[in-house]
Amino acid sequence: MSDDAVRPRARWRLLLPAVAVMLLFLVPTVASILVGSVVEHKQAPGHPTAENYLRFLGDRYYLGTLGFTLRISLVTTLCALLLGYLVAYYLVRSVRSRAMRRLAYLIVVAPLFTSSIVRSFGWMVSLGNNGIVNRTLLDLGVVERPVRLIFNEAGVVIGLTHVLLPFTVLTIAAVLQQIDVSLEEAAMDLGASRLVTFLTVTLPLSLPGVVAGSLIVFTLAMSAYVTPAVLSGGRLKVVPMLIYEQYVAVYDWGFGGAMAMLLLALTLLLTSVYTRFLRTV
Amino acid sequence: MTARPAGVLEAVERVGGVLLRALAVLTFVYLLLPIAVIVGASFTASDFLAFPPRGLTLRWYWTFTQTPGWLDSFTLSLELAAATTGLATAIGVPAALALARSRFRGQRLLSGLFLSPLVLPQVVLGVGLLQYLTLLGIARTFWAILIGHVLLTLPYIIRSVMATLAGVDPALEEAAADLGASPPVAFLTVTLPVIQGGVIAGALFAFVISWTNVEVTMFFTTSRLNPLPVNIMNYIAYNVDPLVAAVSAASVYVSFVVLLLIDATVGLDRFAETRPR
Repeated sequence: MSDDAVRPRARWRLLLPAVAVMLLFLVPTVASILVGSVVEHKQAPGHPTAENYLRFLGDRYYLGTLGFTLRISLVTTLCALLLGYLVAYYLVRSVRSRAMRRLAYLIVVAPLFTSSIVRSFGWMVSLGNNGIVNRTLLDLGVVERPVRLIFNEAGVVIGLTHVLLPFTVLTIAAVLQQIDVSLEEAAMDLGASRLVTFLTVTLPLSLPGVVAGSLIVFTLAMSAYVTPAVLSGGRLKVVPMLIYEQYVAVYDWGFGGAMAMLLLALTLLLTSVYTRFLRTV
Repeated sequence: MTARPAGVLEAVERVGGVLLRALAVLTFVYLLLPIAVIVGASFTASDFLAFPPRGLTLRWYWTFTQTPGWLDSFTLSLELAAATTGLATAIGVPAALALARSRFRGQRLLSGLFLSPLVLPQVVLGVGLLQYLTLLGIARTFWAILIGHVLLTLPYIIRSVMATLAGVDPALEEAAADLGASPPVAFLTVTLPVIQGGVIAGALFAFVISWTNVEVTMFFTTSRLNPLPVNIMNYIAYNVDPLVAAVSAASVYVSFVVLLLIDATVGLDRFAETRPR
């Protein structure tokens, strides 16, 4: 009896360090961007105003950058989903031996353990006119002259998809693994071809994994800094690069903070609309 | 009439199967390529970056160990990752235990708060922390980066431990308590051995997140306080040479030791299933 009376309080104490860290650091962190973005501005500093937000929303250059960030994130999400589904399906349905599966998991997870800067550096070396990718394509006769794969949108998408692919593979594989194979067998016993079985049974059942994977990838793509900065050679700007500039080079924290808040709001808005839309479908 | 379409269908399916395999293998190559290129290029004997390497030498690794700036970055990153792992584990494991093993009002709100750094874009976390810690006067210190990394890794540990606890019968711990074990003793002898896998996986993942992070770290660095990934990023903006390939490769080796540790202790496939995020 006395134990039961003591335990809940003892458990509450276990939460204290984590709660303290959140209240001391995470909450003020977000609050200070928010406050800074409405208080720090050029005209009459100190009074709250929407100036920083209006400056972003009223400028074509900034809106264009936001549009570009969105486009790159969507294309990347699509690429990562396609490739991720393919690999996940192959991993779960075709790889039979345990050793091979372990190796495959290692290959999928390895990039997650490598810094985005090292990976971007690797792509920088691989994608140039004399890089291994172009040389292979030339040797195979796929192309006649080197293709421009770096310092443009293609390079950014190749690099970003690489950064985010492990997330889709793992999320989709986890869901595929839980699908009862006998459901697919039943469909085939009833005369459905493998393709029809996949389209009518496997794919719909795996949609939760697809949704979860695409949400993670989209969110991370919207806020990626290193890969776009390195692989576009600074020529194409995404919103996180603008934010970094404002904070580190321009020192206009109010404006940078407004951009950070807009990025956060847009990402949250799009992901919640997407999940709601899927729930109603 | 039925034989032929079936034959065609079978052929189509066989081609589809081969295609699936080929595309999957190509994607595996894609996943490994940039890492393999950097590791390969780090062994080149040439004075410029080359892949495939021209000749094999360890001289760039030697140069790396002889360059104080790079070496400082390397040890700083190791210290940061170790401190982050220790702190985040010490804070996160108790929190996960409490969240998974009790019901109270506001519990969902609290676990939402704990996991929220996951949905916060890293750049946003970075600038907010910069702004707030400048106010406190500790921006651009070791502590600032450490706080950022702990915030970043805490959700991973909490999730990993909670996922492990979800599969464990609470009666186990209650039995220990009923048999007279004090809470610390029950924890050490019953709970900890059971959740060990989740703790190890979470801790190792925290180590790697800290070890590889750029997006939060870059706001707090100075020329003296320059963790490895940020140092690499600033360096390759101006020079690309075999030395920075060797440094990058060294960073990959540390990560891969952790990767193999996870594979050996928790198992990568299980890790992938309970994988945080």
